[in-house]
Amino acid sequence: MRCYRVPLDGDGLENLAVMVAPAVNGSGREPLYLLAGGPGQAASDLAPLLNAFRRINRERAIVMADRRGAGRSGAFRCGFGSDMPADLETFSRQLAQCYLQKADFAETLSSRQTVADLERVRRFLGHGRIALWGGSWGTRTALLYQQWQPESLSALVLDAVAPIDTKVFLTAGAAENALQQLERDCVEDVVCARFGDWRRQLDRLLSQWDDGRAANFPDPLTGAPSEQPLARWALANAIRTALYDPKAAAQLPYAIDQTRLGNYRPLSGIAGLFANRTDSMAMGLTFSVACAEELNRISGEEVAADSANTFLGTAFFDLFKSGCEVWPVQPKPYGAPEPRDQPVLLISGDADPITPPVYAERQLDYLSRKQHLVVAGGGHINSPRGCIPELIARFLDSPGKPLDDSCVAEIRRPPFMADAFGPALDMGGAEQ
Amino acid sequence: MIEVESVHKQFAGRPVLHNLGFSVPDGQITALLGANGAGKTTCLRIITGLLGADSGRVLLGDIDVARDPMAARRQLGVVGDREGLYERLTVAEYLSLFARMQGLSGGALREALDSIRSELELGDLWHRRTRGFSQGERMKVSLARALVHRPRHLILDEPTRGLDVLAARLLRRTLLRLRTAGTTILFSSHVMPEVAELSDRVLVMAGGRIVGSGSPRELAQHTGCDNLEDSFVALAYGDTGGEEEQRQERAPA
Amino acid sequence: MEKRRFSPQMAPLLLKEFLETWRDRRALWMAICFSLMFPVLLAGVTIFVVKKNTEETTRLALLGAENAPLLERQLRGPNLEVEAVAEGSPRQLLNDGYDLVLQLPDNFARDYRDFRAPPLYLYMDSSATGAGRAEHHLQERLNSLQQLVVSQRLTARGVAPQLLAPWQLQVRDVSTPSSRGALILAMVPGLLILTLFVASLATSVDTSAGERERLSLETLLLQPLPAWQVIAAKTLAVASLGWLGSLLAIAALVALMPVMPLAELGIQQATTTGGVLAMGLLLLPLALLVAVVQILLALRSSSFKDAQTQLSILQIAPVTLLMVLDAARIDLTDNYWQLVPLVAQQQWLKALLVGESVSVGWVLAGSLTCLLLVAAAIAFGARALRRESLLGAV
Repeated sequence: MRCYRVPLDGDGLENLAVMVAPAVNGSGREPLYLLAGGPGQAASDLAPLLNAFRRINRERAIVMADRRGAGRSGAFRCGFGSDMPADLETFSRQLAQCYLQKADFAETLSSRQTVADLERVRRFLGHGRIALWGGSWGTRTALLYQQWQPESLSALVLDAVAPIDTKVFLTAGAAENALQQLERDCVEDVVCARFGDWRRQLDRLLSQWDDGRAANFPDPLTGAPSEQPLARWALANAIRTALYDPKAAAQLPYAIDQTRLGNYRPLSGIAGLFANRTDSMAMGLTFSVACAEELNRISGEEVAADSANTFLGTAFFDLFKSGCEVWPVQPKPYGAPEPRDQPVLLISGDADPITPPVYAERQLDYLSRKQHLVVAGGGHINSPRGCIPELIARFLDSPGKPLDDSCVAEIRRPPFMADAFGPALDMGGAEQ
Repeated sequence: MIEVESVHKQFAGRPVLHNLGFSVPDGQITALLGANGAGKTTCLRIITGLLGADSGRVLLGDIDVARDPMAARRQLGVVGDREGLYERLTVAEYLSLFARMQGLSGGALREALDSIRSELELGDLWHRRTRGFSQGERMKVSLARALVHRPRHLILDEPTRGLDVLAARLLRRTLLRLRTAGTTILFSSHVMPEVAELSDRVLVMAGGRIVGSGSPRELAQHTGCDNLEDSFVALAYGDTGGEEEQRQERAPA
Repeated sequence: MEKRRFSPQMAPLLLKEFLETWRDRRALWMAICFSLMFPVLLAGVTIFVVKKNTEETTRLALLGAENAPLLERQLRGPNLEVEAVAEGSPRQLLNDGYDLVLQLPDNFARDYRDFRAPPLYLYMDSSATGAGRAEHHLQERLNSLQQLVVSQRLTARGVAPQLLAPWQLQVRDVSTPSSRGALILAMVPGLLILTLFVASLATSVDTSAGERERLSLETLLLQPLPAWQVIAAKTLAVASLGWLGSLLAIAALVALMPVMPLAELGIQQATTTGGVLAMGLLLLPLALLVAVVQILLALRSSSFKDAQTQLSILQIAPVTLLMVLDAARIDLTDNYWQLVPLVAQQQWLKALLVGESVSVGWVLAGSLTCLLLVAAAIAFGARALRRESLLGAV
C-alpha cells in the first residue's frame, strides 16, 4: 500500500489523499480506480474491497483517491459524527450553520470537479488509460468521467448503477420493489413462509407509529429505551437501509413479525446493524453534490408519483429536501449523455432498494458495449460476492468478450432468520 | 654448465641435502645415481628452482637460479619423473602453449614446433589429445615440451622408466644428438646399463651428498668393481655397511 | 622479482587453463546440472504448492446431515465438497477417501434451537497430507455460518452485532508486493551463491590438487612465469565456470518466473533486464573469490580426495551462514555489511530480485573489497607455491 498527496491549485484544499495498492505483477496492465458512493464517501473507505479484488490486484494497481471534501482529502463533515440528530429540524439547523461557514467551499464541490481531480491524479501517477470501478454514486462519477474524459478511459465496472439521467434520490418506488422481492423470496422459503403476512404488519406498524411506541423503542447499543424517540420516518428509513444488505433483509420478516407480539427488540437490532455507519459520510459533501446535481432537477409531481403506495413514502426524500433548503448551492446540470463505446460491465442486485436493475437496463442506451450481471436477491453493491470478483477480473482482462455469467445464479440469499435461535439449520424440522 | 655449490636443505628439521656440491659440464651427459631417498629429486628441484636451498647456490651457466629464476627457466628444459601432460589438450596445443610460455611467437614458434615434431617423430600424434597415450608416447611428448624452446640445459628425472625399446632408443638418440649440439644434460636413473652406455659422467648420491663421481670406468676403478652397478652399490650403500666417515674418505673431491 | 608485471606469457597460460576447464565435460555437466536444478526445483515446488492450495478441494462426509440440511447447504463452497452419508464409521469413511468426517448428533437440531450448543464431531486423520488444509477449508465455512447465526441471535435480542467488536482494528499493509516477495525469495540469493560454489568445485579441485597429483603442476611451475600468474590464471578459469553456473541459474530463474505462480503467492516479479545484468555482474567478484579460496584450500589439502571433502564442507558453510543470518533476522541494513563478501552479494541479489534498487557506490565499494581479497589470496597462493609441502611427493 502506498500513499500519495496529489497537489491541487488553490480552492482551499492543498492536496488530495491517494492510496495505491500496487499490482503484484507490474505487467503494465491499466490500473483500476475505485470510486466511492454517497456522494460523501471516501474511496479510501473501500479498502476492504481489496480482499475481494485480490486477483485483480495481481495484475493491476488499485487506486483509491479520496475526492475533495471526503476522507483524508479534507472531509467536509459539518460536525456530524456517528450520531445523527433524530429530528429533521435539529439536523437542518446544524446543516445550515455549516453551510454559512463554508458556503464557498460547498459551491466548489461537484462531479465535474471530481472528474477533473481524477484526471489530475491519473497524470500525477503517470498512468495512461485507466479502468474505473464505481459503486453506487461512484457509478455516476464514473459515467460522467466517461462523458468528459473518454480518451483516458479503457473500461468501466459499475456496481449499483446510477445512470446520468436517473433521479436516484427518488428511492421510494425502488425500495418498495425491493421489499416486495423480499416478500416473494420469503414465500418460497419453507421457514420464512411461516411468518405469513408480515408485510401487512409492517404497513400497520408504520401507519400506527406513535410517540409512545417511538419512546419505548429500545436502543440497540445500550439495551435501554432510546434517549431520542425513533421517528416514523427514521423507522421507515431503517427498514429501507436493511434492504441494502441481504443478510439484514433476511432478518426483517422475523423482526417485523415479532412486533405483532409487542417485541421490538429484533427490529431494534436490525436498526443497530447500521448504527455508527453515518460517520463515513461527509455530510457537507453529500449535500453540496446532491442538492446541486439531483434535488434541483426533481419536481414535486415526481416525488408524489414515486412515493405513492410505498412503505417509505417521502421519508428518505424529505431528509434531502429539507437539507437542500438550507444548502443553497447553484444547480450544476449535466449535458445529455453522448454515445460512448468503452466496454462496460454493469452489476445490479434485483432486490436493491435504491439502484434497481431497471436503471442499468433502461437508461444506458448510449453505451454501445455493455454487459449486465443481475444477482438474484442481491442488495446494494454485489462486487465482493460469490464469483463476481472473478468475473470482474475476467472482464478487465478482455473487456470485449462476453462473460459466462452462469455462476452468478449460485449467489443466493442468506438463510432467513427463523426464530431467536437464528436460521433453522434443520430447515423447519419435523417436530414443528 | 650447471654448478651446485655447497647446498644445504632440510625438511621439517630433517636434513635432506648436506653440503651438496658438484658441477655438470656442457656438452656432456651426466647421470645422477642414488638410492631412493638419497635426495635426488630434491636436488633436481633445487637446480630447477622449484625449491629454494637453505644455503649454498646453484648456477645455470652464469645465472643464479635463486636470484633470477625466470632467466634460469628460459635456459632449462625439464622432464620430470612423470610426464606432466594435460589430457584434455592435443599434442600440438600442448607444445604450442608451452613454447609460448617460454616466450616463443610468430615464425620462431612455428619453426620450433615443426622441428620438434620431426625430430621426435610426433607426426602421428600431433592432433591427438594425450589421453590414452602409451608410456612411450607420453615420454616423447614430454621430452618435446622440455626441448621445444631449445634450452641450453636439460634435466631428466628417470626418463626411461616404463619405456618400450623403441621409445628408449629414440630418447637415447635424442640425448646423444643434443650432446653433440653442446647441451648440458643431467639425468637421474636406476637403469645401470643405460647409464653406462649414455653417460659421460656419473654422480652418485647418498645421504644428501655426492659420494662418488667420474666416468663409469673411473668409478669402477675407484671402487675396484668391474661394472657400474657394483660400483654404485659400493658407493651408495657402502659395501661394508660402514659409517659416514668411511664413505667420505672414499669420496673423490 | 617481476611479481606484479603482466608478461605476454600469461596469455598462453590463461589459454591453457581455460581449455582445460572448458573441456572437462564432467565438471561442465555438473555445473550446468546444478545450475538448472535449483531454479527448476523452485519452480516445481511453487507450482505444486499453489496448485495444492488453490485447486485441491476437500471432501467432507456429513453423518447425520438429515438433522441439519441447511448446515449441509451452507457448508458447501468452492473448495469444500459436502456429501451427506447415511451411515458408516468415521474411520472407514476417512479410509474411503474423505478428508474429513463431520458427525451431527441426533438431537443436534433440538439442542441448537434450545441454545444448548450441541456438539459437532469432526473426525480427521492428522497424519494424512492436506489434513490441515482440509480442516482450514471446513473452519472457514463453519466460521461464516457461525457468524451468521450469532448475528441473527443478537439481532433477535435487539443487540447491535457491533457490540461483539469493541473496536475496529484497521490493518493497512504498507509492504509493497515486492517486499512481501522478499520473504519468499530470500532463499534464492543463497542458492545462487551455492551454485557458484558447486559449479566451480570440480574444476578448482582438478586444477589444483588434481594437477599436483598428476605432477603437471610442477611442469607448469618450471615455466618462466611468476607464480602469482599461475594462481591468477587458474582462478580466472575456475571462476569462469562458477560464474557461468550462476548466470545460467539466474537465466533459468528469470525464464521460469513467468510459469511460476508468483502472483498467487503475492510475489511481484520485479526483475528487470537491467536487474538481471546487474545480478550477473555483481556475482563476478564473488566468483573470483570463491575460485581462489577453493584453489588455495585444495592446494593445501593432502590429496585429491581430501580436497574434495574439504571443499564440500566449504560450500555448505557460507550458505548455512547466510541462512542463519537470515533466520536470526540479523539486521543487515547497516551499509558496512556491504563490504563483507557473501553477505553483500546476498543483500544485493535480494534487493534486485524484488526490483529494489541498490546503491551503485556501495556495490562498487563492496566489489572492490572482494577483488582486493582476491588479489591478497592470489599473492598468498603464489608464496605458498614455494612451499615443499605444496608440491608433494617429497
